[in-house]
Amino acid sequence: MDMWRKKLAHWVRYLALAPVLLLNGCSTSHFWLFDPKGPMANADLYYMVIDVAVMLTIVGITTLMIIWFLWRYRKSRGKGTYDPKWSHSNAIEVVVWGIPIIAVAFLSYYAIEGTYALNPYDPTVIKEHTVAGDDPLEVDVITTDWRWLFIYPKYHIASVNELVVPAHTPVYFRLTSSSVVNDFFIPQLVGMIDVMPGMRTKSALLANHVGEYQGFSADYSGAGFSWMQFRTKVVSAEQFQQWTQQIQASPRQLSYAAFNEFAKPYIDVSGKPEYFSGVQDGLFDHVLGEVMNGKVWPLPMAMTENMVDYMKEQNARTSTRTSN
Amino acid sequence: MLVDLQGPWSPLLGRLALSQIPYENHILAPLFVVVVILGLAIIAAISYFGKWGYLWREWLTTVDHKKIGIMYILIGLVMLFRGFMDALMIRTQQAMAVGPDAPGYLGALHGYLAPYHFGQIYSAHGVIMILLAATPLLVGIMNVIVPLQIGARDMAYPYLNALGLWVTAAAAALVMVSLFVGDFSHNGWFGIAPIFELSYSPGVGVDYWMWVMQLTALGSTLGSINILATVVKMRAPGMTWLRLPIFTWAAVASNIIALTSFPALTVALALIGFDRYLGTHFFTAGLGGNLMLYTNLFWIWGHPEVYFVILPAFGMISEIIPTFSEKPLFGYVTMVLATFGIAGASWAVWLHHFFTMGAGPAVNSFFSVATMLVGIPTGVKVFNWAFTMYRGRLRFETAMLWAVGAVFLLLLGGLTGMMLAIPAINYMVHNSVFVIAHFHQMLLVIVYAIFGAVTYWWPKVFGFKLNEAWGKAVFWLFTAGSVLVFVPMFTLGFMGMTRRLDYVFNTQWQPLLDIQVLGIAVYSLSVLAFVGMLYVSIRDHAKNQVSVDAWGTARSLEWMTPSPVPFYNFAVVPHINARDEWAWRKEHGFTDLRPDHYEDIHMPKNTGIPLILGALMFLLGFGLTWRIWWLCALSLALIIALVIIRSFDSDTGYTIPADEVERMERGHHERARAVDLPAAGVLGGAIAYGQADPAVKGQGAALGGGMTSPEGSRV
Amino acid sequence: MSSSTSKAIDPSSVELWDHSHHHHDVLSTRTFGFWLYMLSDAMIFALLFAAWGVLSYSHSFAGGPIPADFVKPGYAFLQTLALFGSVLAYGFTMVALKNGNKAGVISGLWGALILGAAFLALDINDVVHLLDAGITPQRSGGLSAFFILTQTHALHILFGLLWMLVMLVQVSRFGFTTEVVGRMLTLRLFWHFQAVIWVFVFVFVYLRGMLI
Repeated sequence: MDMWRKKLAHWVRYLALAPVLLLNGCSTSHFWLFDPKGPMANADLYYMVIDVAVMLTIVGITTLMIIWFLWRYRKSRGKGTYDPKWSHSNAIEVVVWGIPIIAVAFLSYYAIEGTYALNPYDPTVIKEHTVAGDDPLEVDVITTDWRWLFIYPKYHIASVNELVVPAHTPVYFRLTSSSVVNDFFIPQLVGMIDVMPGMRTKSALLANHVGEYQGFSADYSGAGFSWMQFRTKVVSAEQFQQWTQQIQASPRQLSYAAFNEFAKPYIDVSGKPEYFSGVQDGLFDHVLGEVMNGKVWPLPMAMTENMVDYMKEQNARTSTRTSN
Repeated sequence: MLVDLQGPWSPLLGRLALSQIPYENHILAPLFVVVVILGLAIIAAISYFGKWGYLWREWLTTVDHKKIGIMYILIGLVMLFRGFMDALMIRTQQAMAVGPDAPGYLGALHGYLAPYHFGQIYSAHGVIMILLAATPLLVGIMNVIVPLQIGARDMAYPYLNALGLWVTAAAAALVMVSLFVGDFSHNGWFGIAPIFELSYSPGVGVDYWMWVMQLTALGSTLGSINILATVVKMRAPGMTWLRLPIFTWAAVASNIIALTSFPALTVALALIGFDRYLGTHFFTAGLGGNLMLYTNLFWIWGHPEVYFVILPAFGMISEIIPTFSEKPLFGYVTMVLATFGIAGASWAVWLHHFFTMGAGPAVNSFFSVATMLVGIPTGVKVFNWAFTMYRGRLRFETAMLWAVGAVFLLLLGGLTGMMLAIPAINYMVHNSVFVIAHFHQMLLVIVYAIFGAVTYWWPKVFGFKLNEAWGKAVFWLFTAGSVLVFVPMFTLGFMGMTRRLDYVFNTQWQPLLDIQVLGIAVYSLSVLAFVGMLYVSIRDHAKNQVSVDAWGTARSLEWMTPSPVPFYNFAVVPHINARDEWAWRKEHGFTDLRPDHYEDIHMPKNTGIPLILGALMFLLGFGLTWRIWWLCALSLALIIALVIIRSFDSDTGYTIPADEVERMERGHHERARAVDLPAAGVLGGAIAYGQADPAVKGQGAALGGGMTSPEGSRV
Repeated sequence: MSSSTSKAIDPSSVELWDHSHHHHDVLSTRTFGFWLYMLSDAMIFALLFAAWGVLSYSHSFAGGPIPADFVKPGYAFLQTLALFGSVLAYGFTMVALKNGNKAGVISGLWGALILGAAFLALDINDVVHLLDAGITPQRSGGLSAFFILTQTHALHILFGLLWMLVMLVQVSRFGFTTEVVGRMLTLRLFWHFQAVIWVFVFVFVYLRGMLI
């Protein structure tokens, strides 16, 4: 089943986008949605192909029918017979109600199936691909204004603006925000899930291919929103172990108090990752509880009005750093 | 009780200070100068031509539903232009700010708009396009047409009608003032919890947004009560429900939605207000607040609002296509059922705006299927329009082009809408530019229908047709612009681009963003062509005069009135015998519009109170935004006092005697017989449509005076 | 396929213009519009109740006072009596209006006004005591919803009282003109409607509040 799905997806991808692809140098790699690298994104594409196939058939035929009517019944030189009183037909009524009803019924089945398959709290597509003995990785995600913090509770490490996960291993996320709502989105791996302050959502992914994928926030969260990206590095299991050891040696520690400093509004225009070791136990739940109890990191007026000076300052700071 | 604020506050001016005027901004400061000069020029011109009295008597104090409708449409067009300018800035900024190496101008890091400024622009674009462009345009057209279609002399509540207009005007004025005094909101047209909380938006922007939206909500609620009561209570004798013109049906369904859904907006915004002014915790993340409560409340209004604006558009398409197919609408009854099917479903789909919030699969499945159900009646409508054209005799005049264009757009919008309705797909494209492209397709359906409707009903209102060649130029330029902007936008959605980026991090998106800028340029040409069309049409209006039935094949009741329509609409209310009354009369040869005798007509008097109430509401909104408490108290007290004072005035109508009616009608009939008369010079003929006819000028107060209530205006 | 052919119609048998001399019923048009307004007002209350429903879980009170600590159904029942008494007085006013009894209308209006003001006074007294005890809308989301819901209703009552004052003046000044009678009828709708809303407030805020 998986094979035909892939073939179909591949075929549709090229056909539907032929004109655009020509423009972009004949490559699908720019089309993140058509180039899934894991079962979550792959399933999203599968349902899209089904839906578009059904709807395009109906919409296409209707469009052709209307164009034919426009041509045939035009007043100047049209060939159709004019019937100035004709305005009702039970047979046609049955068809025009019947076709949409059947199409919606058919698509509803897939819509419901897909909703359960991709339920971010318990995605069955990942379970299907998990072999016994797989040890899933757990990552806690906290968004601040305006950075991503990925905590690996098992290793007591955390990374900023960089998510590193091993390939072929299910990764389960818990997500919350210390400030406002963001959307966690890695187009080639997993669809969007809201990241909300004072609340905990979940998501999961499984990556099949080693590589680097773009992740970013998809929901407007204020002035620094456009710079809220993170690199997603999918590495081999060995590389992942090496990476965790390397970060565990990092000098910067992340205690509850240090998080309070970290969560202050900050726009990182360079997007350079940072790493923390010694992440205090239960930081995720601590932040969640603090926010529920009314803790906020308010924005100073200067970050909501004329941002020109602040942005220049940030740029100067980070460009000197990147040039090192 | 009140919250503590960042920044200074004084009892006299509230938060207002000179530093809030953005005179250093390189875009706003010159614009302000232009606006001031333009405003002064208009004032000077009105004074020079001595038109203040005319303006006050004929327009500002009018309760005539047609003139109120025209003013709604004027507000809508002005705001449409403002929204378009915002769109132009969004598109150019995104095209200029791609990748870390993109240069910055005017102080911005990339492109020319700093993050917070960009946020304000797209927020204003959304608010303006939906609530202050689409809504007034549609409400305006409903205002003009619905009473004519049901054979009424005016709305059920003419005074309330004027009040609705001036409240909407106050909202438009408030959003325009936010350009030059302080900031506008940056958290999108729908407001994102908890960004609008004081901790994350300490300035006045969110307050501006909130009060602009509140005013439009008030105006729309008043308007919907009025249209519903008009249709239910004011129909001409013989007009049973199944003889109601299809556009009126659409207006009924649409206003039922408005009446029941706008309160949700009022509540959602009021609760933000309590959070921001009193420090309550409705939508805060902590202390028991629930930010998803806001999102739910907003979209409980927000989605029905979508259908509130699209149903009248469907109604317009359903009027235009039969006229230019020269046959009746196919499946009238199913069309009505489909309209109410859409209206009913609109209440059960709101959650599809946030499938990604992490609701359980059962909840998401329910709203997914409910959303797809909307596709059924919508599909039926498309098929019915297609079969209206089947066996017809199609004439592709400008109005028909817009209507057919809208049908094709709706097909594309349906295709993409069914994709978004499925959560599995939605997870990938929610908040992406694919969604933006989708709902712009749907809103373009509305814009196409509005342009079609304006072209279609223009001769009814003004007595002459718009220029066909220029109209077609507008259509093709506008369509080319739409293709160039939105095809790349759909494509970018598949590439993974999300909305609201003021800095675009992926350089691979550059070519498609550039194509969109090209599209915006073409759109600009269509705006110019539109202005050209108006100019040419008004210049040549003497040549384009029309009689009663401007298109020759129209079917419904409004085409039985003289063009332009006299202020009393129908000298004698017609008795309705068929669904398409005018078509029925033409078929049976009852085209003589002279009844055997006339009767006295009772009409409402003009009043300036709605205008003053609107101005006070503007001051109240302004005072609340800047927290100038004395101004709020004063304007609120005056509003209440004025409403009470008005209730003591029982002299609100006047009677036109039967012989006066007969004299005016004779003028209309003479004019109808000779539509090629020379016109009454400059704009006068176009705008003061009652005065367009020199044939009746000699008859004293007949037509020109007829536009004014004999008693003149009173405050 | 139903395409009918047109039959010839005798012009003398059709009615083309309205000669019924009918006049639109001003009162029924006005009342209908007011029903529509009440529908939108009912929606406002429905959504405030929804907000109260969402924000009245125990965690919505953020560790602060919960309704069970401070709601007094007995006291609220006194308010109920005052408001229902006011509605009853307004009912007598309408009976007097039907009989064209101007003195009866005025004394009925005064009765409704005084009892309504008593309701409002009880409400204000309650709110002042709560605020003094540190039970404020700023304390938690649950309390925000409690205060805004109950006080939105109180605001409607205040508006109704103002309306009654205006009607007292208008009845004595103009007598029973169409406008005045129309306003008395719509005020009756409004006043009954507020009483109905209060029943919901009483049940879902004060009675249910004992269990939260």
